[in-house]
Amino acid sequence: MSDFYAANLVLIQSTFIGILLALSVQVPMRAGVFSFAGAGSYGIGAYVSAILVLKTGMPSLLAILISGIVAMVVGLLLGLLVAHLGGLYLAMATVSFDLIVSVLAINGGDLTGGVTGLFGVLSDVTIFHLIGLALLGIVGVALTERGRVGRRVDAVRDDPELAQSVGISVRRYRLAAFVVSGLLGSVAGSLNSLVRSTISPSDIGFSLIVLALTMIIVGGAQSWKGAVLGAVIFTWLPPLLAGFGQLQHVVYGVIVATAAIFVPGGLYGIYSEARYRRTRAKRKTPQGEAPAHEQALAISVPNGDAGRSA
Amino acid sequence: MSAADATATRPVLEIRDLAVHFGGVKAVDRLSMRLDEGRIYGIIGPNGSGKSTLLGAVTRLTPLTSGEILFDGEPFHTVHASQIAAKRIARTFQTVRLLPDVSVRDNIQLGADAARGDVDERRGWWARNFGTHTSPAVASAIARTRLGGFEDYRPAEMSYGTQRRVEIARALALDPRLLLLDEPTAGMNQRERGEISTLLKELRDEGLTQLLVEHDVQMMVDTCDYVFAMNLGTVIAQGRPEDVVRDPQVQEAYLGKKFRHA
Repeated sequence: MSDFYAANLVLIQSTFIGILLALSVQVPMRAGVFSFAGAGSYGIGAYVSAILVLKTGMPSLLAILISGIVAMVVGLLLGLLVAHLGGLYLAMATVSFDLIVSVLAINGGDLTGGVTGLFGVLSDVTIFHLIGLALLGIVGVALTERGRVGRRVDAVRDDPELAQSVGISVRRYRLAAFVVSGLLGSVAGSLNSLVRSTISPSDIGFSLIVLALTMIIVGGAQSWKGAVLGAVIFTWLPPLLAGFGQLQHVVYGVIVATAAIFVPGGLYGIYSEARYRRTRAKRKTPQGEAPAHEQALAISVPNGDAGRSA
Repeated sequence: MSAADATATRPVLEIRDLAVHFGGVKAVDRLSMRLDEGRIYGIIGPNGSGKSTLLGAVTRLTPLTSGEILFDGEPFHTVHASQIAAKRIARTFQTVRLLPDVSVRDNIQLGADAARGDVDERRGWWARNFGTHTSPAVASAIARTRLGGFEDYRPAEMSYGTQRRVEIARALALDPRLLLLDEPTAGMNQRERGEISTLLKELRDEGLTQLLVEHDVQMMVDTCDYVFAMNLGTVIAQGRPEDVVRDPQVQEAYLGKKFRHA
């Protein structure tokens, strides 16, 4: 085990960072907000933490906290700015936001280290910090999928007008999605800088957006479980594909495309659909009647008082 | 439950000189209505007469051009769409709107989630928001709409008429004071229509004020206490349903010759 751990430390670290990154995209997606701002927040977290630790010698956890707050505020402002956008336009606006963060990093002069980035970000972040923060993120996101809050997020995604009619402030939920996404993305970015002791613009570019999106598409956007699944797969897949040599990018691409086309709900979607079918097959039809959709007319009056109408 | 008698003259909803214009189109124009507590009101009118726009204005989804809406005597047209549930106004939609991936129980619970004075209020903030219990209001709404046994079904597994009943159950779980029903019996068979009519009258007898938009004139005559006939965005006749449907102006605008033969 410890041999495995030592040999794969970088991948193990990346897994927990990847989980937080994937959650930062899954949270808004689940609320029906097509936002990829999580990647930009990752950049904010990565740079703010690195700068704080490097220039002030601040303790790592404090730097992560401050970066998180900065990203949440930026997420809120971004959410307000794009409040009236939806679908593809919102997606484009948030991709632009991510690219703006990259441009700022490249042109930040001494503060961000320009194209070469920052080096020597020494910190005391251990694997236990990674596990702890990833678990915290998972538990927090899992809570938003439960009970009243879970139902309300479903309603905001599936039917905003219906959501409003049952007293849900769609605007507030959408803004919350931006803020939570900002926090999760930022923590992921902070951990990346602090664990790797370096950050450069190439770490937060367009490829990061693609990676996060890939994790969600293949894993599934409906649940935190999909995000975790996707993060694990796409952290471990590239090294496993190394055996394909020059073809590894082709194989990677085929896997992603296949998932996108044939498994729209992601791997988690397959699992939850199967579970639903199983319970559906098991349960009895109400009051001994045939399922409603199998009856042409006159459905489901359990005590059958047909004389009441007319 | 005899609240209807005691407060029969108290308006729950009052609409004064309402106008909703879309550019040059006067979807609703100079429309006034008054809904007293504990009665069933109906709106009839041909397609494009402004019925849906009116419901949109009352549910605050459509902005008013001018006029006033008062709920319980208080100005209502400044209230945001997401706050009408807190005022205990519930609605159903012209086309069924249910969450596709959750059970009937959870769909109805969505209405109970909005209700105030629910037992959930006494639970802690944590349990209220993240608990997976079902409110008592849901069980009673399921019983009233005869959805017993369907709790674990998803909408797509049920007939259109049954889905409509889930919508009504969701609205009831909100514990409404005013219930707005947009074509509640569309897609239902004759027996189901009769059941819905009976249910609405039961609710009326318990004091619930209802506003019904419906194409089925027979259903309106059987169910409503008072009917408004709309055409070209305004009320052209109102009164007892039997009288309104016989009004020559209404027949010309909406019912045509067909009703005379019926």
